[in-house]
Amino acid sequence: MKVLRIAWKDTLTRFRDRKALIGLLAAPLIISALIGLAFGNINFGGSEPPLSHIPIILVNEDDGQLGQVYEDVLTSDALADLLDVTKMDDLQAARIQIEQGEARAVVHIPTGFSNQIIPASTGASVGQASIKIFTDPTSTVAPVIVKSIIEQISAGINTVNLAAEISAQQAMEYAGILGPELARLAEILPEELSQENFDFETQKLSLNKSQVGEVQQDINAFAYFVPGMAVYFLMFSMFGGARSILDEESRGTLPRLMTTPTPISEIILGKMGGTFLTGVLQFTILMLASRYIFQLSWGNSLLGLAMIVLLTVFAASGLGALLTSFTRNQLQANVVGMTVSLVFGALGGSFFSTQNLTGALDFASRLTINRWAMDGLTKLTISGAGFNEVLTEAAVLGVIGLVTYALAIPAFQRRFVK
Amino acid sequence: MSETILKAQDLHKRFDKVHAVQGVSFDIRQGEIFSLLGPNGAGKTTTISMLSCLLTPTKGDAQIDGYSVRTQADKVKQVIGVVPQEISLYPDLSARENLAFWGRMYGMGGAQLKERIEAVLDIVGLSQRAKEKVETYSGGMKRRINIAVGLLHQPKILFMDEPTVGIDPQSRRRILDTVLELNKKGLTVLYTTHYMEEAAELSHRIGIIDHGKLIALGTQEELTRTVGEYDTLHISVDGSKTDPGALVEPIGKIKGVHRASLEDSSFIIQAEDANTVLAGIIAQLDKAGARVLNLRVDEPNLEAVFLHLTGRALRD
Ligand SMILES: Nc1ncnc2c1ncn2[C@@H]1O[C@H](COP(=O)(O)OP(=O)(O)OP(=O)(O)O)[C@@H](O)[C@H]1O
Ligand SMILES: [Mg+2]
Repeated sequence: MKVLRIAWKDTLTRFRDRKALIGLLAAPLIISALIGLAFGNINFGGSEPPLSHIPIILVNEDDGQLGQVYEDVLTSDALADLLDVTKMDDLQAARIQIEQGEARAVVHIPTGFSNQIIPASTGASVGQASIKIFTDPTSTVAPVIVKSIIEQISAGINTVNLAAEISAQQAMEYAGILGPELARLAEILPEELSQENFDFETQKLSLNKSQVGEVQQDINAFAYFVPGMAVYFLMFSMFGGARSILDEESRGTLPRLMTTPTPISEIILGKMGGTFLTGVLQFTILMLASRYIFQLSWGNSLLGLAMIVLLTVFAASGLGALLTSFTRNQLQANVVGMTVSLVFGALGGSFFSTQNLTGALDFASRLTINRWAMDGLTKLTISGAGFNEVLTEAAVLGVIGLVTYALAIPAFQRRFVK
Repeated sequence: MSETILKAQDLHKRFDKVHAVQGVSFDIRQGEIFSLLGPNGAGKTTTISMLSCLLTPTKGDAQIDGYSVRTQADKVKQVIGVVPQEISLYPDLSARENLAFWGRMYGMGGAQLKERIEAVLDIVGLSQRAKEKVETYSGGMKRRINIAVGLLHQPKILFMDEPTVGIDPQSRRRILDTVLELNKKGLTVLYTTHYMEEAAELSHRIGIIDHGKLIALGTQEELTRTVGEYDTLHISVDGSKTDPGALVEPIGKIKGVHRASLEDSSFIIQAEDANTVLAGIIAQLDKAGARVLNLRVDEPNLEAVFLHLTGRALRD
């Protein structure tokens, strides 16, 4: 009973904290939305995309290979429904088209863009080149879409870059406390999108045709990336939850709890239970939100889905608690949590499909919770698998959960009983 | 004499490098306010933590209401109320939510819990603001809720670890009054402080703790006396009709008077207890026809005791 009280107190506190909510729910939804938008897979609220054939003008003054890549992608079949691209040579004339309401955005690739970005083999310093986007101030959604597409192309038309970069970079930058910075993500994202200029570093522009090819694959981006982001952000919140035990220790509420007639095992289980409950709620809300916002189908097996989600949260909260129990303090716990979440996200398929992984990388991937969760979830969402087909994933996640919980509880107990 | 509710016997606590508590023993009687007075790092919190079953003593034991803190922690925890030195509350919950949560941790619930929450809010005078989040409270208000939590389950004995640290004088006054009032209603209190005045005002008995050792124990009067400090009486007389100088010797011979001297027309008399010798002195003066113009008694204070015992001031 007291276990539930403690768990509920934690969950309630988290879901009442508006900043924490952004990290729990808004950030994964926004990133999923961006990825979805970038793939032209827009499906807000209806069966017909409300946004299609957005008139844009491309002014490509670059005669190098990079400008051509942008042009190829923007005019590719994958984006054909979304964008109506007109090519023009005169930037001024193109901008007038916006004012006249003929176009929603102008994408301008300046002269010498390729040369500036790709330095001569002599190794000359890299210049800062930017693609400029001019947008219709009266239009709200279209410019965001165009910008996110350009951003996508710039990031190597590789979703690894967008998601990993934004979350990793921002999160690392404010590596102090996890909750608040992840919360800031949602504030930062629209800001980034509102920038008119996109500056590139050479590394990001290792574009090649095969990567461009990914865009042309007709995959359901939402069906993959919403679960991907949900699992990715779940890891963060599970580590955050585990860390709250250390927060309570330093704040004095844990010692005070220990002076009440409540066994320490119940206190620890309550704290872990609160993290578990938070994870289940977070995942459930993300599933419901994506169902209604993105029209995403979560498959045909509600039972299979419930099992995978519960066991994913079970495993993630267990691992979070176990690793946290061995850290020296909150700061170290934060670093560990951040690192594991990022590495697991990268290896475990939160950002890209692990289907083609082989050898050591595939093995490493199978060591992550994200991998098993994603395998189970994508079987359900993309392949429409049933309960029996995700039993292996469920079993692996269940074992991870059992082992980590079994180790974490006594580890915390040893740590706190002095 | 009322019965003993807490009996600490040779408590020791050794951390990795620090021997924080080194053989502390004392008794607390039912209905008494007992203070542990000592400077920073003396071992007050460590002692209270052992009595709260938060730390296991390295050596020694304590009985509270007959239960051992070593072997019957569950029973002990039902009997004690704890007010930690740090404000140990959930800042993002309201005061009432905090109280509800902590009450449940004491196994309370339902109407009884509701009633107790209102009662303790009333005791600390925060009923009006109970809906607000604790993080919006002033330091003094937080301290009062911190105390309220310790009172919820109607403990037999309340441990208060420096409950007035870092707050304004009014809040401090309020808290001291609350402690006195609770005690008047029968609550036994173990109070720690490094403020001599607080210990002096509140306590029936005081233990002075320094470097993990209880260096003195007793009522304020007993303590100051054991270290050879005396009450000092200053008596000014009208010396126009008699010679006060002739009275120094007879006064010095009164039982209980340690030393007597005369400066101008004022007697300075050191006595073990001013009250017991006062009648005799007045009688002597009266017999000689010396009119008393002014009389002052200076009791020796705890500060002086600490200084005497350790060679250091209580507050540096
Ligand atoms: N968990 C711990 N680990 C190591 N040393 C500790 C620990 N807790 C206390 N100490 C040390 O034990 C000694 C006594 O500390 P304690 O907190 O009991 O003193 P205190 O009288 O409560 O002081 P204050 O008035 O500052 O609260 C100090 O030297 C302190 O550094
Ligand atoms: Mg202390």
